[in-house]
Amino acid sequence: MMKTTTEKILNIMLVLTWIAFIGLMVEAGIILVSYVITCIKPEITKNLYLGAELSKLMQLGFWNYSIKVYFMFSLLGMKAFIAFLVIKTLSKVNLANPFTANVSQRIALIGYVLLATWFVSLLNHIHANWLLKQMGQPEVDYAAVEFLFIAGLVFIISQIFKRGVELQAENELTV
Amino acid sequence: MPITVNLDVMMAKRKMSLNELSGKVDLTLANLSILKTGKAKAIRFSTLEAICKALDCQPGDLLEYTSE
Repeated sequence: MMKTTTEKILNIMLVLTWIAFIGLMVEAGIILVSYVITCIKPEITKNLYLGAELSKLMQLGFWNYSIKVYFMFSLLGMKAFIAFLVIKTLSKVNLANPFTANVSQRIALIGYVLLATWFVSLLNHIHANWLLKQMGQPEVDYAAVEFLFIAGLVFIISQIFKRGVELQAENELTV
Repeated sequence: MPITVNLDVMMAKRKMSLNELSGKVDLTLANLSILKTGKAKAIRFSTLEAICKALDCQPGDLLEYTSE
């Protein structure tokens, strides 16, 4: 009973993660295509996806616009990569013997990618604040700590999982 | 590991094959093989009791401690 409920929850999570992954990939693709088009024809920036914000950015210079698009694309790419890792983990997990070295390593990798996402998010924020300063607007206080917090949590879970792998190996070698 | 399992020695003394022992102690060949090759991390008292009964020996005949 318990196992089937967990299986159902994990299957639902797998479907949701697939949706999130596809959504993030589509969004990243749209931003990249919009950027390429605006590089060719800068005047149509305002008509493209998220054009309202990006056309204002374009006024601050092509490089600032490029950096902003780069940050947006990297953050979406990293989130999509995390979703991809979660999909791989969820599709490989076997509830009879869930503690495998493969799953443990993947959870640790998710933690590291989340840490990298926090760093990129922080850089994006620093750049955004610099742009606000250039425009003479007040700076926003935001340090993307949620990514750091989640990265820490996932890292702790990966360490507990690592111990689970050892315990399962010990259990399998008990006769 | 400083604990050695002398299952193969006892089996040879009693002239018993792994298949025969497997049938008597109700353990799979794979698990008996793990025990015989010294890959086992732990042994349940129930398993030890069954092996001792089947081979008519004491736990000390099966397990040996050697300092590393």
